[in-house]
Amino acid sequence: MTSEPKLFSRARLLPWLVLVAMLAVTALLWDHEQQSARKELHTQFDFALRDTVSRIEQRESAYEQMLRGIQGLFATTDLMARDAIRDYVETLQLDANFSGIQGIGVIKWVPASQKAAHTQTMRALGLKNYVITPPDPRDNYAPIIQRAPDLDRNRVVLGIDPWAEPARRQAMEKARDSGMPAITGKVRLVVDEGSEAIPGFVMYLPVFARGQPAESVAQRRANLIGWVYASFHMSDFMASLYGKQASGLSLNIYDGINPTDSALMYQTGNSAKSRSPRASAALSANEYMVIAGHTWTLSLSTQDEFEQRFGPTIAFTITVAGVGLSLSMALLVWFMVNGRAHALRLADEMTRELRHMAQHDPLTGLPNRALFSDRVHQMLAHAKRHGGYVAMIFIDLDKFKFINDNYGHAIGDLLLQQVATRLREATRASDTVGRIGGDEFVILMGELPEIEIALNLAEKIRVLVAQAFILNQHELTISCSIGVAFYPDDGTDEETLIKNADDAMYRAKDSGRNSVRQAA
Amino acid sequence: MIKPYFVALLIALTLYTNVNAAGPDCSRPFTLALHDHGLLFSADTHTGIDKDVADELVRRSGCKVTVSLMARARIWQLIESGALDFSLSGITNAERDKFAGFAWYFSNKYYLLVRKDSGVRNQADFEKNDKLQLGVIRSFRYSESANRLVDKLQDANRVSQASGLEPLYQTLMLNKIQGMIIEPFDYPALDEKKIREISSIVEFNDPPVPHGLIMSKKSLPAAEQEKWRALINDMRTDGTLLRIFETYFKPELAGALVNFQQAP
Repeated sequence: MTSEPKLFSRARLLPWLVLVAMLAVTALLWDHEQQSARKELHTQFDFALRDTVSRIEQRESAYEQMLRGIQGLFATTDLMARDAIRDYVETLQLDANFSGIQGIGVIKWVPASQKAAHTQTMRALGLKNYVITPPDPRDNYAPIIQRAPDLDRNRVVLGIDPWAEPARRQAMEKARDSGMPAITGKVRLVVDEGSEAIPGFVMYLPVFARGQPAESVAQRRANLIGWVYASFHMSDFMASLYGKQASGLSLNIYDGINPTDSALMYQTGNSAKSRSPRASAALSANEYMVIAGHTWTLSLSTQDEFEQRFGPTIAFTITVAGVGLSLSMALLVWFMVNGRAHALRLADEMTRELRHMAQHDPLTGLPNRALFSDRVHQMLAHAKRHGGYVAMIFIDLDKFKFINDNYGHAIGDLLLQQVATRLREATRASDTVGRIGGDEFVILMGELPEIEIALNLAEKIRVLVAQAFILNQHELTISCSIGVAFYPDDGTDEETLIKNADDAMYRAKDSGRNSVRQAA
Repeated sequence: MIKPYFVALLIALTLYTNVNAAGPDCSRPFTLALHDHGLLFSADTHTGIDKDVADELVRRSGCKVTVSLMARARIWQLIESGALDFSLSGITNAERDKFAGFAWYFSNKYYLLVRKDSGVRNQADFEKNDKLQLGVIRSFRYSESANRLVDKLQDANRVSQASGLEPLYQTLMLNKIQGMIIEPFDYPALDEKKIREISSIVEFNDPPVPHGLIMSKKSLPAAEQEKWRALINDMRTDGTLLRIFETYFKPELAGALVNFQQAP
């Protein structure tokens, strides 16, 4: 009995426990999915960055290889062999794959002492207006002496000295000293003269005197005879890359390591908003790539499209499904638990009712013989341990049969109920009033210090019962005969006590009814 | 009857020992790639330790070897595919062991170079501060705890990649990155003083890592790799390697780099 409420309250917690547990599982799943989505996004982004770098490197090395071809030509031909160079470039068949190139050219290293002779030689080759520009005197000159393809606009370029321009000179020096290709920073190409500035760069490869050593920096400086170069528009260079740029990414390329507007060489798309990486981009990274001795900063950032493709879409589904499922699961458990609680309560009530019915007189609600007998045992056991008297008071209504016969059973029953009420009201809470037969009542009193208390009660009851009853507008009077027996004087067990009390009651009847007799 | 067999055996034995003593098989030209990396190789001057080691190796082998310059990431890629035969100053890991053989010739520790104003005094300081970015060279691997640091920061999007040392030094000077992992030969000749002024060095608590000649397993049979390895070992034992390192480092440091315990 005592564990039942605890069980109920525990059961009442169950739906909440289920809800919390399932939400926790949902949160775990969500977190896991979020993390793996983030990881996937990260991996894909890193792959795209690496891929972009390697595509640029590959393309650069293809252009470098092409320049090396021209450089190789000078292992067998003189720098001034214009026809051979033109024919060679023609046989290269620079198709769409090399569309990044604006022009290929040859530069001759001309110390000041050879300037006049050089100009004369060039003019003798048919270039009547050939002049080194800028013309102001310098220690060394490095005029462009040939340009391919041999178009009119390219003729303008001949004689121009890139050595006089710091950005170009730096790359030329680097190429000379290392013997390797070197590119300039962001420059405006000479062919773009007049038109709007398209970011470009130039790649130089040194040419050393045939048969002379070029192992050390000193040897390379001493034996330099010129350069071959290729000039590029950055946008064309990027357009000629192999492979495909992953969509949903914005790419900016800057000259050097500082991503400023003035250093911007290339950007995917032309919209102004892609100029700088979005502040909200999930991922953005700069990679500093060294290309032909020069650093470019590749700034890659994700756009919505990329984030959505690899982003946490499943995580959202998990959240919605998980929360929904958690709630319905908790609700289901709530129904189950409450249904069970209700059934348990009902069973408990029924059990209590049955037990009450088994132990009580249905008419008066007083304990019946079985329950009364139980109480007698308890009381006697208590008295045996702690001492004191136990009184057994037998009450039998006088001439009850007469009332039943004359007024009917309904009135008889009402009378029994009212007698029961009067008996209950006259006794202490600790006393037990029972009905053990048709018109027989019994009262059990325990823990009595003296027998007079019980005898007084018996007398009081005799008087109470003798007072008139109003039953369905009938005024009835009745009396009772009472016998009283005491533990331990008149018996120490239930049977003996009942028998002695019964005997005493009959003696009261015999002596003319409506009286109290004590067991002899 | 015995005589011809005996002669044949003698010839076979002679041929065998001859092949062994003759060094690598030079029946085809080889390729070797250098990467621009501090004192190992500078593309600006076309000089460096690796260049000297390569020259000496080529001289001793008697083979034709085309030496070129590439990004380190590309070198590993080509070594794996077999398109490139050799590279230098490589360190190994389980993955690289699958496609590359090594002939160790020096060993060194790794260090974390940090900006003084970042307040970093040890590896954990760097790890804890979310604002700090680490610069690394793509495809580079380091000693164990350095690798752990790089991988962890990579996951947190706190790593900037570069294909060479120079942009890393530049970005460190500009405070775009606050740390980078370096080796003793990583100080560039230029700007050395400026970099030393703004930075301090944190040592990783790892043992020195051996560096060596990288040989592509796809392009070189195990027996040939052994011959190239023997050339490197000769260069170590006859003091050639120490002499090369001494032209770039003080004698004590050169000795410490070159004289390491060869792994079994």
